[in-house]
Amino acid sequence: MLSKWLKPATHNQQSRFAPKTLALLAIFAASYALPSHALNVFVCEPEWGALVRAHAPHANIYAATTSRQDPHYVQARPSLISQMRRADLAVCSGAELEIGWLPMLQARSNNAKVQDGQSGMFYASEYVAMLDTHDHVDRSMGDIHAHGNPHVQFAVKDMPRISTALTARLVDIDPDNARQYQANGIRFRGHWHRQITQWEEVAEPLQGLNVVGYHGTYRYLFDWLGIAQVGDLEPKPGLSPTNAHIHSLAQLGADAVDLIVYSSHQDSRPASWLQQRIDKPVLELPLTVEGDQSLTEMIDIVIGDLLKQTGKQTHLPVQ
Amino acid sequence: MKKSVISLFVCSALAAPAAFSSPISNPEIGVVLDGYYQSGERQLSEREEGFGLGHTEINMSANIDDKFRGSLTTVLESHGDHADLLIEEAFIETTSLPHGLNIKGGRFLSSFGSLNNQHLHEDAFAERPVAYRNYLGGHFYDDGVSASVVLPTDLYIRLGVEALSGQQMSAIDDPSTVGIYSATATFGGDISTASSWQLGFSYLRNDNGRVDSFGDHDHDHDHDHPHRFGHDHDHSHSASVTGKHLYGMDFVWKWAPNGNYKYQNLTVSAEWLRLNDATSRDYKFEHDYPGTLDAFYLSGVYRLSPSWSVGARYSEAEDFDVKMYGHYPYFKRETEREFDLMLAWNSSHFGTIRGQYTRAENQRHDREDNIFTLQYVMSFGAHGAHAF
Ligand SMILES: [Zn+2]
Repeated sequence: MLSKWLKPATHNQQSRFAPKTLALLAIFAASYALPSHALNVFVCEPEWGALVRAHAPHANIYAATTSRQDPHYVQARPSLISQMRRADLAVCSGAELEIGWLPMLQARSNNAKVQDGQSGMFYASEYVAMLDTHDHVDRSMGDIHAHGNPHVQFAVKDMPRISTALTARLVDIDPDNARQYQANGIRFRGHWHRQITQWEEVAEPLQGLNVVGYHGTYRYLFDWLGIAQVGDLEPKPGLSPTNAHIHSLAQLGADAVDLIVYSSHQDSRPASWLQQRIDKPVLELPLTVEGDQSLTEMIDIVIGDLLKQTGKQTHLPVQ
Repeated sequence: MKKSVISLFVCSALAAPAAFSSPISNPEIGVVLDGYYQSGERQLSEREEGFGLGHTEINMSANIDDKFRGSLTTVLESHGDHADLLIEEAFIETTSLPHGLNIKGGRFLSSFGSLNNQHLHEDAFAERPVAYRNYLGGHFYDDGVSASVVLPTDLYIRLGVEALSGQQMSAIDDPSTVGIYSATATFGGDISTASSWQLGFSYLRNDNGRVDSFGDHDHDHDHDHPHRFGHDHDHSHSASVTGKHLYGMDFVWKWAPNGNYKYQNLTVSAEWLRLNDATSRDYKFEHDYPGTLDAFYLSGVYRLSPSWSVGARYSEAEDFDVKMYGHYPYFKRETEREFDLMLAWNSSHFGTIRGQYTRAENQRHDREDNIFTLQYVMSFGAHGAHAF
C-alpha cells in the first residue's frame, strides 16, 4: 500500500511531502496492509481472557485489568483506548460493573465494532440468571447495580451458556474459523459439566458455611455451593468499611460466623479488624485468574482454599 | 419564561424511569449539583464571594441509532436574582465510521489541552487554573465541527482537527464566521501496570483573536480586562486575553499501587500555554509589547483513601494591560499567580465536599488575596465515565 503511494511520485512531488507526513502514511500503511490478522480481543477482566483463550486459542487477547485491580475503579487510560481501537471483539462482565470506564473507552476508541449493540461487544452477564436484580435503585442503597450482581465470573452454572453465546459471537465475527470455535466450545462445555459434578461433590462440606464477605464478589459462588454470606465488611455496596460497621458485624457473635473472606484486590485490614474481635479465620480468595490460569483452575483454587481454611477438607479437589 | 423552561427540564429529569431495563434504549440523564461558600472572589471566576451556586449541570446522552450518538449538557447559573440557562454541549457524533474516525458537529468542548474537554465537575479543584481562565475562559466550548482519528497502534495516538465559530474568543467587532481552527495530537501509554502517561500538543488559530488597533475602540480602561470584548459581565465565559495563535502542551501522569485506583492514587498534571500575537505587530517596538505571553499550571492530587484526597496546584498566566496615549498604546505586562491547596472528602463516588485555600497574586491591582472555599459537588442520575 505504501509503495502504491510512493511509486508514481516524481522527485518533485516527493519533496513536497514533509517527512512527518511520510512517517504517518507509513504507520497507516503498515497497519492496514497486514494480512488477515488473528482476532484482537479486548477483555475487561482476566477471567474473560481465560474463557476466550479456551475458545479461540490463536486470538490476541488483551486484558484491561489484573487480579490486583478493582474492576469498578479503572482509569480510561490511553493504552486501553488504543487497545479498544484495535479490538475485533470486546468481552466484559457488563451489568454496569464497568460503567465508570468502559463507555469512555467505547466512545474514545472510535471503533464501530465494539459499540453497544454491535456483535463485537459481548457482555457475559447477559447470559447469566442474574441474582439481586432491583426494580428500584436508589443511591442511598450504595453503589448497587439495577441489573443485578455483576460479578458473574463465579456464576459457575451459567458458564456453559456464556460459552455457547461466545461461540456464536466468535463465529459471527470470524466465520472463517467457525469450525474451530464450535469444536472448542463443545470441548469447553463438556469439560465444564464434568467439573461441576466434581466440584459439587468436593464442596459438599461447605454447605451451610456462614461467611462474612467484602462486597458481593462471591455472590454466585456462595449461592451455588450453599454458603451464606451473613455479613459484608462494606456497610453498603461500594462504600468503605467503617469502624462502627465492623463493630456491628462483631455483634453477630462468633457462633454466627465461620469465616471472613476478602479478595486479592482488596484492602486486607478490615478483615483483620473483624478477626481481632471475633477470632475467626480470614481467607484471601482470588478475584479472577492469575497469569495464564484457566477458569477451571480458578474455581479449583477457590474451592480448595475454602475447604482448607475451614478444615472441612475431606478429600482434595481433583486437579 | 426562563424559569418555566428550567422546571420543565428538572421535572423530566426526575421523571426518568427508576428501573432502566436497558441502558441502550434509554437516554442517560444526570444532574450535577454544585454549591459553595467562599471568603473572596478569584480573578475571572464564575463564583462570587459568599454563598452561591456553581456549575449546576443537566446532562442527557444516548445513542440516536447505530450510526450516531447525541449529547446535551445544559448549565444553570444563578447570578443574584436571575438565572442563565446555558447550553454547554449539544452535539451529535458518529459511532460507526471505519478506520478509527469520528466526526462531531454542534456545540462541544474543544479538545485543546488535556483539561478543557473534561466537565468542570470532574476537576479536583474548585476552579480551573488561572492559566485556563485567562486564555480559554475556564473551559472553551463553541459551535462547529471536529474530526479525529485514533491510529491502530500500541502507542495511543489521536489526531484531531476542529473548525469553530470563535465568537467566544473574539477580540474584534466584526469577526469572521469561522474564527477558530485547531489541531491536536495526543499520545499515551503505560509505563508499568502501576502508572500511565499522556502527552498532548495543541494548536489553535484564532482569526479574530488579535487586537489590531486600539484607537478604533472605545475601551473602558478602568475595567479589569480592557481587552476583553465579549459581554462584559464579571462571570464572562470568554477568555480574558486572546491572540492569533495559541499553542499548548500537556502532560498527565497517573500512578496507583498495582494499578488499583480504588484505595490510593496519584495524578500529576501540567500544561503550558503560549499565546502569540495578542496585538498587531505594528506595535512590536513599543515597551512591553505582548508578542508572546505564557501561562502554565502544575498540579498534584493524591488520593489517600477512598474517602479522602489532597492536592496542590500552582498556576501562572501572563497578561497585559494597555493605556492609550493619543494613538500610542502603552503596554504593561502582568503576571497573575495562584497557589491552591485542597482537601476533599468523598461521601461516595457521587458526592464530594471540598475545602480549598487559594493564595492569589494579582500584579495589576498589586494585590495578594487569601481565599477559602468550601464546596460540594454531587450528582444523581447517570454519571458519565471520566476521561483520563
Ligand atoms: Zn460490585
